[in-house]
Amino acid sequence: MQEIMAILPASVRNIMTVLPSTVLEVLEEIRLRQNQPLEIRYGQQTSYVTPAGQITSIARQGWVFTQEHVVKLLNQVSQHSLYALEEELKRGYITVVGGHRIGIAGKVVLERGEVKGIRDVTSFNIRIAREKKGVAQKVMPYLFEKGTLRNTLVISPPMCGKTTLLRDIARQISYGNEWSSSRKVGIVDERSELAGCLQGVPQRDVGPRTDVLDACPKAIGMMMLIRSMSPDVLIVDEIGRPEDGDAVWEAIHAGVAVVCSAHGSDVEEVARRPMLGKLIRHGAFSRYIVLSRSRGVGTIQAIYDSSLNPVKKEQPA
Amino acid sequence: MIKLIGALMVLVSASMVGWQISRTYAKRPVQLRALLVALQMLETEIVYGLTPLQRAFVKVGQRVNKEVGNLFLLAAELLEQERALSAEESLQKAMKRHWPQTALRKQEQEVLASLSQVLGSSDREDQQKHLRLAVTHLRGLEEEARAEQDKYEKMYKSLGFLGGLLVVILMF
Repeated sequence: MQEIMAILPASVRNIMTVLPSTVLEVLEEIRLRQNQPLEIRYGQQTSYVTPAGQITSIARQGWVFTQEHVVKLLNQVSQHSLYALEEELKRGYITVVGGHRIGIAGKVVLERGEVKGIRDVTSFNIRIAREKKGVAQKVMPYLFEKGTLRNTLVISPPMCGKTTLLRDIARQISYGNEWSSSRKVGIVDERSELAGCLQGVPQRDVGPRTDVLDACPKAIGMMMLIRSMSPDVLIVDEIGRPEDGDAVWEAIHAGVAVVCSAHGSDVEEVARRPMLGKLIRHGAFSRYIVLSRSRGVGTIQAIYDSSLNPVKKEQPA
Repeated sequence: MIKLIGALMVLVSASMVGWQISRTYAKRPVQLRALLVALQMLETEIVYGLTPLQRAFVKVGQRVNKEVGNLFLLAAELLEQERALSAEESLQKAMKRHWPQTALRKQEQEVLASLSQVLGSSDREDQQKHLRLAVTHLRGLEEEARAEQDKYEKMYKSLGFLGGLLVVILMF
């Protein structure tokens, strides 16, 4: 929270700090739009905030974010260096200290039909990142067989905690646990979500033996890491493109364990997608973890082995 | 005897004054050159290194001639400490404080001031354009400063000494 407070313009900060702590603790998003009232999302609710720091559902009572504040916020976020954010402005979001993400919208500038950046930024969505350490605790016993880590595919619909789970798996493997000693972990973090890097430095705890290729396309990144960092385990979020499949295949046959994730609600569904189906049929993965929201975010629905039978727990070595 | 000592003192101090003035003429091109180098480094940091402005100021400030470098270090310090300050304001403030300590003139300050208005607030290409423009301006001023140096440096030195000599002659 402090990191977020530090980048907010003083006027917004003053309002935010007087919010009740019950709200601040579950705060998920701060939404700022030029000439519109300050909006926050916390728990499952959304509301506006008055100039006195009170929560209200009436828009016109809300404190209004003006253009002057836009400039100040942008200055703070970019550290007075917009030129350094070209890539970020192209992608539409900026990662700040602490791994929090700020989504932006405004007037898009095109160059030869491609997005070159966003010039007049008018909307900000500050998403507060909360790490959930230990969510992988429940799945760790299933990922090992006779002390070796198995190639794993995490299958989950969006917003079910797949990235959080992957991050925790990376951390546990990197630190070492009951089933294995610590290992070298390589993360290809195309969307800067797993490690939340800022200037290349992971802002989340991904473990002491973890190397992160930030903002790198997955397929190229996996090959780069194998050649340059000799990881024991490769962790990749959301594989889907044909070249990703080839890279996973290469990695597995290069003696590297791969833990990756894909969108989907069960193995059968994922198997119908061309690239993933091929990998599954060829037995690239020997563990499938299926997530859902049935009992809250991050519910582990099932864990299967390569022939889709439920897996037994591995006893600590 | 006392008169002789007095005459000597007049001569020495007059030459010193002349020497001081001539020094500013000699210093200005040197500092202008340093400022030019600093802006070119800043261009590299911004356009190729994508270094945040505050760190770019520190890097540049440490590497160029101290008299000019301190200006950037001061701006970096202001930028870090006073969070409400924009990049423009902090550079302007630093210039106001630091300028009297340099041999640089108003014209140079104006070039830097107009650069400060855009520094950090646009994309790379635009930053590069503005930095190059400032460098071109400063180059012109540098040539001018060198011409002035050739003209006046020696002149003020001799003028000081000769002026002293005149006073001494009048005294006797």
